[in-house]
Amino acid sequence: MNTVKFRLTGVIELRELKELGLLPPEERLKKGPVAILECPEQIPCNICVPYCGLKAIKMDKITDIPRVDWDKCTGCGLCVAVCPGLAAFVVDLSRNDYDYVTLPHEFLPVPRLGETVTLLNRRGECVGEGVVVRLWEKNKTRVVTVRVPKGLGLEVRAIWVEKKQ
Amino acid sequence: MFDFEGVPVEAYEGESVAVALYALGVDVFSWSHKLKRPRGPFCMIGKCSNCFMSINGLPNVKSCRIPVKDGLKVERQRGWVAPEAIHLMDKHSEIVELNPDLLIIGGGPAGLEAALTASNYGLNVVLVDEHFKLGGQLLKQTHKFFGNVELFGGMRGFQIAEEYSRKISELRNVQVLTNTVVYGVFRGGVVGAINESKHYIIKPRAVIAATGAQERYLDFQNNDLPGVIGAGGAQTIMNEFGVKPGEKSIVIGSGNVGLIISYQLLQSGVEVKGVVEILSEIGGWFVHAAKIRRYGVPVFTRHALKYVEGNPRVQKAVVAAVDDKLNFVPGSEKEFDVDLVLLAVGLEPDARLHAQAGAVMKYIPELGGLVPIRTRDLETTVVNMYVAGDSSGIEEATTAILEGKIAALSIVSKLCDGSRAENASSTLEKTLRFLWDEYRSSPLLTRARRGKEQATVPREELEDFRKKFPSPISFG
Amino acid sequence: MGGEKTVIICRCNDVTLDDVLTAIHEGIDDFELLRKYLKIGFGPCQGRSCIMIAARIFAKEKGLSIEDVLRNYRIRPPIIPVSSKYFIHGDNS
Repeated sequence: MNTVKFRLTGVIELRELKELGLLPPEERLKKGPVAILECPEQIPCNICVPYCGLKAIKMDKITDIPRVDWDKCTGCGLCVAVCPGLAAFVVDLSRNDYDYVTLPHEFLPVPRLGETVTLLNRRGECVGEGVVVRLWEKNKTRVVTVRVPKGLGLEVRAIWVEKKQ
Repeated sequence: MFDFEGVPVEAYEGESVAVALYALGVDVFSWSHKLKRPRGPFCMIGKCSNCFMSINGLPNVKSCRIPVKDGLKVERQRGWVAPEAIHLMDKHSEIVELNPDLLIIGGGPAGLEAALTASNYGLNVVLVDEHFKLGGQLLKQTHKFFGNVELFGGMRGFQIAEEYSRKISELRNVQVLTNTVVYGVFRGGVVGAINESKHYIIKPRAVIAATGAQERYLDFQNNDLPGVIGAGGAQTIMNEFGVKPGEKSIVIGSGNVGLIISYQLLQSGVEVKGVVEILSEIGGWFVHAAKIRRYGVPVFTRHALKYVEGNPRVQKAVVAAVDDKLNFVPGSEKEFDVDLVLLAVGLEPDARLHAQAGAVMKYIPELGGLVPIRTRDLETTVVNMYVAGDSSGIEEATTAILEGKIAALSIVSKLCDGSRAENASSTLEKTLRFLWDEYRSSPLLTRARRGKEQATVPREELEDFRKKFPSPISFG
Repeated sequence: MGGEKTVIICRCNDVTLDDVLTAIHEGIDDFELLRKYLKIGFGPCQGRSCIMIAARIFAKEKGLSIEDVLRNYRIRPPIIPVSSKYFIHGDNS
C-alpha cells in the first residue's frame, strides 16, 4: 500500500475524503445536517454502528471503514459523542447566512452557549471566530455545535476557548 | 502529611510518594551511584530504578510504588545505600503458602480478563499485582477504547479498570494480592512473591504471566536528566494522579502512545512544541494524529532527538533532521526550550519471568523484543505456564484482553472436565477465530500480527522445543 | 560525536556509551563478557532499561544480529531486588 498523503502529515484533504467515499454528495450537504466520519483507515473498531439510533452507519467487519447512509442520517451528533477516535463530525451547509459544525471537545474551560470561540482547521490554523449554538456532553466528551462563517463548514474541525483571566 | 528530608509535606491520600513529591516540584529524586548524576522519575510504574528512596529508614525503595501515609519518613539517596543490620533482623515477614488452581501474575487487562474467565468456570485464582491498584496501564488511559462494545469499546481506560476491579471484588474464588511482586519461579512449580509483610510460596496447577511491558529507553547525550521521562510515566502523573507534569514539552516518537500523550498533555495545559518522528511517515493511527494536528501540534517527520541540556532538570532539547540512512544532517538542528522530554519510542515486552522459568525465547523485532515461543492457546515451553498481553508481544489492550481470555479458557479446558471443559474449548475456538481472522485482519495491525505469527508454533513443534531445551520447571 | 561520556546506557550502574565502545575496541567480543565486565543490567532494574540498548550497540559494532548477541543472555532469580529479611527466619539467625 503506498503511503497515502494523510499518513505523512496527519491532515486529510477533502479530495482524499471524497475518494474514500467519506464525503456526502453536494445535494445532501445542501439539504441539512449530516455526519462526516473522517475515519479513513481500517481500524478494528465499530463503536459508531450500534450507537447510531437510526442504524444509518454500516460495517460488515470490525475493520471496515464506516459507511453512512446519508439519507437516513439526520445529523443528530451521537456518533460525534461516542467515536473513540474523535473522528466524527456533523456539518450543516443548508443555511445561506452561516454554516454549522458539530465537533467533539474535551478541553477546559468548557464553552458556554452563545460564547464566541476560536475556530481551528485540520492543520490547527485559526480560521476565524464562531458562536456556540448547541452543547451537550456524554462521558466527558462535549458535543459542541458552533456557527461558523459561510463556506467554512468543511474546514472547521476544532474550537479553542480562551481561559478567562 | 509525611516528612520529606526533615520538612513536613502534604499529599492527597491515594497518591504514591513519587507523585506527591513530583507535585511539590521535586525534580531530583536520586543521585546515581558512580557518577553522582541527578535522576528524576522515568517510568512511574516500578520498572526502573530512578525513584529509589529511603522510606522509614529502609533504603532502595521504589517511591512510585508506595502509597503516601501519615508519618512516613522519606529521604533521597546518593547511589545505592546498604541497609543497616537492623533491617536484616526485621523478621516480621510471615510465610504464607497458597495452592490455587491458577496463579495470574499481573493485574492489567490480560490478567483481569483471565481472572474473570477462570473464575466463571469455578477455578480458584490468585491474582498478583505490583501496584496498589488493579488495572495495569488502564489506570492512566483517559482516552476512549476502540474495538466493539463487548470489549469495552467507547469506555475510557480507567473506567474499564474500575469495572474489572468491581467485578473481581465480588468473586469469592479470586484472591487479589496487590502491592505484591513475584521475584522468581522455581523447581517443583513453586512461585515466590513478596509484599510489605508477607512472603508467599505459591504452588499453582497453572500460571498465566501477564507481566506487560516497559518503555524503551533511548541513548542520546544527557538522556538521564530529570525531566526526560517515559510517555507512560507522564501519563501516570497526569491521568492517574491529576498532577501537571511540566510546562513546555516535546514528544519523541509518533506511534499511538506518542500521539495520545501529546493530546493528553494539551488537556493538562502543557504546551506541546511538537512530535518528533524519525521515519518519513507518522507511526500511529491517523485519527490520533488528526486529534493533535487540529490543535496546532506539528509532527516533524524524518527528525530525531540529538541531545538535551539542563541543570539539573532538562531545559533544552535539540532535534535534527535525518537522511535516509538515519544519520543526522549537519546544520539542521532545531532548539526547543522545554522542561519535559517524553520518550514514546516503543515498548518492550517484559517476559523476564518466562525467561527465568526456562521458557524458550525468541527475539522478534515486530513484537518489540524477547518473547516466549508459545502455542495458539498461549502455552509456553514451560508446561502449564502461559503468556498473555504485552509480555507476549507489544500490541493493544484489546488484544491483551482477548489473549487473557484465551489463556484462561485453555487452562480451564485442561483442568476441568465434562461440560465445563467442552464449553471452554468451544468458546476458546470462537475467541481465537475472532482475534486472528477478524480483529487482527486490520492492515494497521499487520506488523504485530506478523510478529505473533512468528512466535506461535504448532503443538508438535512446541513439544520438540521442550525436548531440545527442557526447563527444570513445570506446573500442573 | 564527542558526548559519549554523557550518554548513559545503564542507569543503575552509570555505564556510558564511552565505556561500552572503549571495552569493545579493547577486544571484548562477547556480549555476556561485556555485560559482566561493565556490570550492565546487574543493578536494581535488572536490565529492563539497558539490555536492549547495549545489545543494539554491540550488534552494530560487531556486525551481528541481536538474536546472536542475546543467545547466551540468561535471566536468573530474583528478577527484582528482594530484601534478605524474607529469607531469614527462626529466632537465632
